[in-house]
Amino acid sequence: MTRRHLVGPLVLTSFLVLVLIGISAHAQPAKAPKYGGVLVGSPLSAPPSLSPHEEATISTVQQASACFNNLVYFDPAKRQESAETLVPELAEKWSWQDNHRNLVFFLRKDVKWHDGKPFTSKDVKYTFDMVRGAKDAKGKLRVNPRKLWYANIEAIEAPDPHTVVFRLNRPQPSLLLMLAAGYSPVMPEHVPVTEFKNKCVGTGPFKFKEHRPGESVEFVKNPDYFVKGRPYLDGIKWVIIKDRSTQIAALQSGQLDVTGIGWNAANVETAKKGNARLVVMEADSGVNDNLLINFKRAPFTDARVRRALNLALDRKAYVVGPRQGAATFGGAMLPRPSGVWGLSDAEVKKLPGMGDAAKQKVEAKKVLAEAGFGPGKPLKVTVSTRALAIYVDTASWVVDQLRQVGIDATLEQIETGVWHPKMTRRDFDVALNLTGIGIDEPDANFLENFRCGSPRNYSDYCSEDIDRLIAEQSQILDRAKRLKLVHEIDRRLQADGARPILGWGKQYALLWPHVKNWVQHTNSIYNQSRMQEVWLDK
Amino acid sequence: MRGYITKRLLIAVVTLFGMSIVIFVLMRLAPGNITDIIFESAGYVDQEDKKRLEVELGIDRPLPVQYGAWMRELLSGDLGKSYHYELPAADIIKPRLPVTLELAFLALAFSILLGVPFGVISAIRQDKPLDYVLRVVSLAGLSMPSFWLGMIVILLLVRSFGWIPSVQYVSPFDDLRANLAQFFFPALAVGYRSSALIMRITRSAMLEVLREDYIRTAWAKGQREGPVVWRHALKNASLPVITLIGIEFAFLIGGLIVTETVFNLPGVARYLIDAIQWRDYPIVQNLVMLIAVIVVLANLTVDLLYAWLDPRIKYGRP
Repeated sequence: MTRRHLVGPLVLTSFLVLVLIGISAHAQPAKAPKYGGVLVGSPLSAPPSLSPHEEATISTVQQASACFNNLVYFDPAKRQESAETLVPELAEKWSWQDNHRNLVFFLRKDVKWHDGKPFTSKDVKYTFDMVRGAKDAKGKLRVNPRKLWYANIEAIEAPDPHTVVFRLNRPQPSLLLMLAAGYSPVMPEHVPVTEFKNKCVGTGPFKFKEHRPGESVEFVKNPDYFVKGRPYLDGIKWVIIKDRSTQIAALQSGQLDVTGIGWNAANVETAKKGNARLVVMEADSGVNDNLLINFKRAPFTDARVRRALNLALDRKAYVVGPRQGAATFGGAMLPRPSGVWGLSDAEVKKLPGMGDAAKQKVEAKKVLAEAGFGPGKPLKVTVSTRALAIYVDTASWVVDQLRQVGIDATLEQIETGVWHPKMTRRDFDVALNLTGIGIDEPDANFLENFRCGSPRNYSDYCSEDIDRLIAEQSQILDRAKRLKLVHEIDRRLQADGARPILGWGKQYALLWPHVKNWVQHTNSIYNQSRMQEVWLDK
Repeated sequence: MRGYITKRLLIAVVTLFGMSIVIFVLMRLAPGNITDIIFESAGYVDQEDKKRLEVELGIDRPLPVQYGAWMRELLSGDLGKSYHYELPAADIIKPRLPVTLELAFLALAFSILLGVPFGVISAIRQDKPLDYVLRVVSLAGLSMPSFWLGMIVILLLVRSFGWIPSVQYVSPFDDLRANLAQFFFPALAVGYRSSALIMRITRSAMLEVLREDYIRTAWAKGQREGPVVWRHALKNASLPVITLIGIEFAFLIGGLIVTETVFNLPGVARYLIDAIQWRDYPIVQNLVMLIAVIVVLANLTVDLLYAWLDPRIKYGRP
């Protein structure tokens, strides 16, 4: 081989060596987690209590979850929650038996409550008998927002201290996922549930230290936690800061390590401008903006009127308008790729309100005319909404959209304290509403919001056929088959205008780079706050 | 004097009684009650459970019965129990009161330390450049709401120094220096506005007194400026200033809501908003009554100070 022939391979080899050196120089070796430090965060708002079963707000779940454990939980390290990401917590293992009519949990034997008492199957039976409102339940919740989740449970048995059997009326694979929700921790039988208003006795990685109502909630490391080597942190302190600009300034000045999920895109942009090192966490919050149309009040009993309202709302304008780009389109289930059960892109594009805005508005006018409304006799609609900025902004946009098709729409702002009583009385024409879904699961969503007679089915939409399909999909064990039926239900709900979905809002959290192992789940903000894997690289 | 004080105390009692009725009625006029809010946060309403809760809390009873129960509790020193947190109301109010009082006193101290000297200087340098400068400063103070000023201060601090006062409360008994660092800026933001008012009143009162015969006599006798201005003139000009300070203090106690929110200070003013939102009647009623008592006492103190400042004022005589 001549010298000339050697030049080429030599240059190539040198180049490869240099590239390898460069790569190795830039590669970040995975750091070993460090123990110690107190994580200081600021949540969206003060928790009304530390009793997750009695609340329907992220504030309670986020701040109290570190104190508790579930039977099973969504893997904190996996971004998308699904049946495939379930991990054991208080249950070592579980088994479906009797053709999925019985769900049997085999519990850990090394678990103690924070007050030293042993955890047993009686605690599990006590908790879920209370939540499902069993006649012989030993405890009663003051408010029970998720009773419907457990309506299919016939009985709960505790044959021995470390075995629990959930007997179901019919197969329901989603039960496992509902038990994994942040809203479903196991509570101690020996502590009255009323005491969880201001304190917390759990089995979780952190023990309750102090709750100053409206000011702060503090936890310290549980040295007897059953997961050896966890948690990494010495403690967690949630500081309530009501003013958003102060919260941003506190984060920028380093007084906070993290802000709770719940910020909008504008807050994030402001905070990042002040300090570019801050890390942004984006999530599809599992909260959708939707329109409630009163199915029991004329003229909204007329399907043509409901269809006209649905067509009038240009979803693309919604995303760039009130949501400032931070939202996704979709049906009743959280859209893909964040969601597991959402309609495909092609199907979403066919939904009412997703087409050409001008054409849809023309069609809306035509449908209204068929229903007897037009320039000479405009349809009068009051759009009610809660007197909170996040509601009013979108409701104002809805009013504008409706006016564009000749509907005489006016905005009514309802004081937040009487919003749900008004919705429950069905004292509205049309309302702009926000609906949060605890877990990305069709049962949790459909049963709460679309089934005939459900307390949260404010529209009073009722279809026996849809109810039958909801019950049917709930029992299907084959995931692909179930997905097909869920899509069928979703398409029909959108076509019926059961609760027209405007879109699904995104929410953000910000944290400093020294906060490690904080994984933001993409399809829910409610089920990731155990904090046992989080550590501080300080 | 004793008769005057007795009479004023009696008027104060009647005022507080009237206030108690106003507070009680106004809270009930607000739409919804605590049970509505509880079910509101749960996202549904179960009428049976709601009714049960109303009975449990005693808010199903006729209003006169509820009012009577509150008065009985109040007069026996029992502030009742928070509906929201199910804790004794006293346990919630007690730790918050010193925070608001400290902020109010510090703000008042700032306003007096800035307002009185600037008002005097402005008066004795009337229509001079310094007077104009101080009047512009005063007008700016009156024009800027203290919460807005607070927000600007926080933004400037974080932008310029990457630092803001602690957002976690530091007790003066734990760390006095950190406590003062935490309260300095909010007190300054609130005090600046009050100082502007005090300065303007001091200036106009001083201008009036400086034209009095006895002051001219003092000048004619060749007395130095210091004793004439600070001893003779200011003492006689201070009556309206003292009145204003009393009113400002009363205003501060109830008017710190936004400042406490902006600087994240856990005082009673900020908590009052929470309690109103939750329709937490025991907390709201007792807190507003407490503020009313402070206002009445502040006015009484101001009235009594008149006699010390101006011996010509005799109480109890026509």
